[in-house]
Amino acid sequence: MSVTDENDWSGPGVRTRRTEPFSWNAVLWSLVYPQRGHRIAPTVAGVVLISLSFGIGTAAYNSSSNILFITLSLLLTCLILSGVLSWLNLRRVTWRLRLAPPLRAGHDTVLALELRNAKKYLPTYGLWFELSARTLEPGVVQRAESTVTGRGIDIRAALAKADEADVRERLPLAGRLDPQGNARIEWVFRPQRRGVLRVGLASVGSLFPFGFLRKDIGTDLVAEAIVWPAPIEYRRHAVASVRRAAGGERVPRAGTGGDLLALRRYNAGDSHRLIHWKASARTRQLLVRQFAAESAEGYSLWVRTEAAIWSRPEQFEVLVSFTATLAEDLFRAGRLINVAIDGDSPSPVRRVHDLELFLDRLSRAQPTVDAGATSHQTGGAADGITAAWLVAKQNVMTFAPEGARGVAAFVNGQKAASA
Amino acid sequence: MDKKRPQLSGDELHQLKWLLGGVLTLLAVGTVFYMEIEAWTLMALTSLATLATLARPTLPARVPRIVHTLAFPAIVAVFVADLWFTREVLPAMVRLDMMLLLYRNITYRARRDDLQVIVLGLFLIVVAGVLTVSLVFAAQILVYTACALAFLLAITLTDGAGGGPRGSIETPAWAAHVNWPQLFRRLREVADWRVVGLGGALFVGVVVVSGLLFLAIPRFQLDNGLFLDRFVSKKAKSGFSDTIRIGDVTEIQQDSSVALRVDVSDPAQLPATPYWRMFVLDQYNHGIFSLSPLAKVQALEGERTGVKVVGTATPRRGVQPRWTFYFEPGVSKYLPLLGEFATLEFGDAQNFRKSGELNIIALREEPVTMTAYRVEGFETAGRLRDPKFAQRWRAREQAGQARNLLQIRAATNDRDRMALTRLMQEVLPGAGGAGAAPSLPAAEFAARLGAWLRDRHGYSLQPKIPDGEGDPLVRWAASHESGHCELFAGSFVLLARVAGYPARVVTGFKGGTWNGYSGSFTVRNSDAHAWAEIFDVPTSTWLRADPLALDAGATERSGENEAARVAPTDRSWSARFDSLRVFWYRRIVSFDQRSQLATLKAVKDATENSGRWLRETVALSLGRVRAWLSAPWDVGRFIRLSYTAVLALGLAWWWHALGREWWRSAWRRGGVRRSDPVRREAGRWLAKLARAGSTDAELRQAQAALERVRFGARESWPEPERVFRQARRALRAARRRERSSPNGRGA
Repeated sequence: MSVTDENDWSGPGVRTRRTEPFSWNAVLWSLVYPQRGHRIAPTVAGVVLISLSFGIGTAAYNSSSNILFITLSLLLTCLILSGVLSWLNLRRVTWRLRLAPPLRAGHDTVLALELRNAKKYLPTYGLWFELSARTLEPGVVQRAESTVTGRGIDIRAALAKADEADVRERLPLAGRLDPQGNARIEWVFRPQRRGVLRVGLASVGSLFPFGFLRKDIGTDLVAEAIVWPAPIEYRRHAVASVRRAAGGERVPRAGTGGDLLALRRYNAGDSHRLIHWKASARTRQLLVRQFAAESAEGYSLWVRTEAAIWSRPEQFEVLVSFTATLAEDLFRAGRLINVAIDGDSPSPVRRVHDLELFLDRLSRAQPTVDAGATSHQTGGAADGITAAWLVAKQNVMTFAPEGARGVAAFVNGQKAASA
Repeated sequence: MDKKRPQLSGDELHQLKWLLGGVLTLLAVGTVFYMEIEAWTLMALTSLATLATLARPTLPARVPRIVHTLAFPAIVAVFVADLWFTREVLPAMVRLDMMLLLYRNITYRARRDDLQVIVLGLFLIVVAGVLTVSLVFAAQILVYTACALAFLLAITLTDGAGGGPRGSIETPAWAAHVNWPQLFRRLREVADWRVVGLGGALFVGVVVVSGLLFLAIPRFQLDNGLFLDRFVSKKAKSGFSDTIRIGDVTEIQQDSSVALRVDVSDPAQLPATPYWRMFVLDQYNHGIFSLSPLAKVQALEGERTGVKVVGTATPRRGVQPRWTFYFEPGVSKYLPLLGEFATLEFGDAQNFRKSGELNIIALREEPVTMTAYRVEGFETAGRLRDPKFAQRWRAREQAGQARNLLQIRAATNDRDRMALTRLMQEVLPGAGGAGAAPSLPAAEFAARLGAWLRDRHGYSLQPKIPDGEGDPLVRWAASHESGHCELFAGSFVLLARVAGYPARVVTGFKGGTWNGYSGSFTVRNSDAHAWAEIFDVPTSTWLRADPLALDAGATERSGENEAARVAPTDRSWSARFDSLRVFWYRRIVSFDQRSQLATLKAVKDATENSGRWLRETVALSLGRVRAWLSAPWDVGRFIRLSYTAVLALGLAWWWHALGREWWRSAWRRGGVRRSDPVRREAGRWLAKLARAGSTDAELRQAQAALERVRFGARESWPEPERVFRQARRALRAARRRERSSPNGRGA
């Protein structure tokens, strides 16, 4: 899972390496002419103000009334003041996106937008943040279209499809962002699909201070994270021919076996019998013994993603969710030994990290044309990899479609679970 | 622990918004006080409703639903009816505006309604400013702008990006528990003095930039412009008209408000006792003076529209003194003038009629705003050449018609004429009486007649005209009663006409005061005056003859102008305020293309002068340094130079090493401590402990902890809440011990 870099701050307050020498002209021009990505548009109040200015200006010239000229000057100055305050408001403000893993399809996810106001004395008010989230299509390379290459494309349909795929939200900054202060705004949303989720801060807007002008600062701030498949309900079946190791096999993780695995510091609640007195005396701190777990019947998961097997996309999604759920359940029970997808070599699952890597890969999994495996019959003729597993005397769990929508898991040719 | 300034909650922001909306409404409807449009009832109603809804923000929820349904149709219907019956667009629009403001203040406003309140209020203030050109406008527009900006800020903060809540007829949560003193306390807590200071500085910046924009906006003089005052008809509340009854001028004198301000480029040109002529009345009929129809036809030209009037005086060579008049509304449609002039230029295009013979200028209607005009080439001698009248007079005199045509309008019956002839015999014993040819030069006759009138009558603003038959003016002239200027001037004219001298009454102002602060001349309505003009046939000139002036008849000598300083100088507080008004008129209201060019020239000159001064100063300084360096060196100079260099280096080092950091820390410390509620609370507890005066260990311990919170670095603080609890416990314990001890105060 990847998240944004810790130092990935963005916004007007980010100190960039200045490539051009300082000049007052550049500063003044930047105040007058919007910078790249900045958009300023009058609001209804702004349109009213501008119309009023035009009307009063016309009346002033027609009547030569200095009272009207004074009013016109004040209105125009208010417009200038609005621009200056807006600039001051956004000055030295930075933001960054933080995604809190793990993300799981169908589950609420928190996206945190962290704000920082580096100004010394002036607070910042009235910002809002346009956020969008989209799950990327795996294997689809986004490319720009020109009028030539894009001929025949239904633009509206394409845009509508893109909009449909996007989840958008506008997050307001409630209250004041104090000088030298930080704030955190959270967006709770629910990714609907597994895969790579791209969350982007499309723009930062503000009507501050008087609501005459709407200022939007376009940003290219993006955070990507992998959304694991949604958990799924499944049914277990009794399997008669599972290989069970007599007395259990030592598993390199903490458990209740008889072999000493490691020593660790004493925690409140630990049994006094577990205290390793010698080591404790030597190190002058209480240490307790930690024993290795003993495996019960361990399983290896082998997921095959050939499109020939999984012709129905929804069935493939069930496969992925089913596999992920099974993998997690087995890992929790300490019964997951190896995992493999298609022709890859089996990866042992010893730590949480190994499981996460497997779930990451599952999240990106798509039906493949040639996965390196030739047989699609569960428990049938084995290829090289399964042969290696069989040699290792592991219980290999494979998957196959069941009916039109279901997926079944098989161990040694027997159905062990179905979803 | 990070210092965290409290923030206003959403409800508090809504309450602030509601308050500011009400203040804006009150500011806007307050313009009716000086706009003089018939909207007093609406103003009172709107103000009361606004104050009521400010005091009790839950009131709008009690307005029946039917009111909301019918509000806009009813307002539109009232507006149409108003327009239909009064036929006055602007007053009807002002009343419509106030009705809308009234409605907006008895309903809970959405964002667009708030914006509507701002626009409606701005309309009222601008209209009032345009109609009155008053100095109050300047103050009002500034206050209104500040409040409107704060209001808009509150709207932005409240509504954010969501477009704000919709207007509701149910009581919103924020309105249910409004406590204004509490809100003000919260505002004080929330406010950071730096931000408030910056806000104030920015507002000053707004005013300055507005002023610069005002100066910089290019001006074009359009002869035919839009006059907002056309949309409102206004009647004179007092003032001079073309018909004056006896006593009218005296009534005007009761009003002490300013009628006219005059800026003169060369104050030495101002006569010691200026007579500001406004209107000429050559017809008299039983107590009423008016302009005769013949004179109206012959003398007044047709109406013209424009900004420039060419007068009858011949322009002099050289730089002409320039007279700028700021003529207040409600005085008259006839412009006050000192005499003949070369050119007169209005600030704005005007519709006017001019009479070269009478030397008067009449606007089409009495202005509802201050009217500014600039005159060049004034003849202030008190004489008015009128060759046309002289020609007519001579022609008719030769034809024997003069007395019939031009003198017949003196008195209406023979008895009055006989009475006047008798009086004339007293003035000039042996004179020919009515119809006789004048025997004295007009100036001498005027002097004698004036002296006779002053001897016979005293001056009084409460005159008594004897009862009886005949013309009242003749009765007064024949009596020995006191009278005012109109009676004197009228009697003068009647007697002069009886004696065979063409004469007429002139109304206007006499005198005024010199404002020592603004350097301008102020004429008040209380300076209203009536005097006479007598025609000197040999010189074809009308001579000013004021029977109340001691030097009446000596107007021929008045060509020798005396300096304005002879006029009384006003240095009162009202003069100070008046000088502000003059500044307003002089620099703001009368700012035009010419002023803009003058300003640009002044800026250019100032830039050039300052550049020159800078160059000269630098050259001078360099010269001094060079001279100092080239002077012979001795030990004393070396020591002084070394001492200065060491001092400068030391200062530079101190600033670089310590001073900057000291300044920063002082700035930071000052900013934090003043607004840190925890330190303030610790200070309060320390004061309480000090008052307790006990010295037991628990109290001392609590005191030490409190001192750390009060004065120590924030990083070294114990948890403040615990410290305060400890102090409270220690204080209670100390008090208990004190009460229980036999020598305690409580025992």
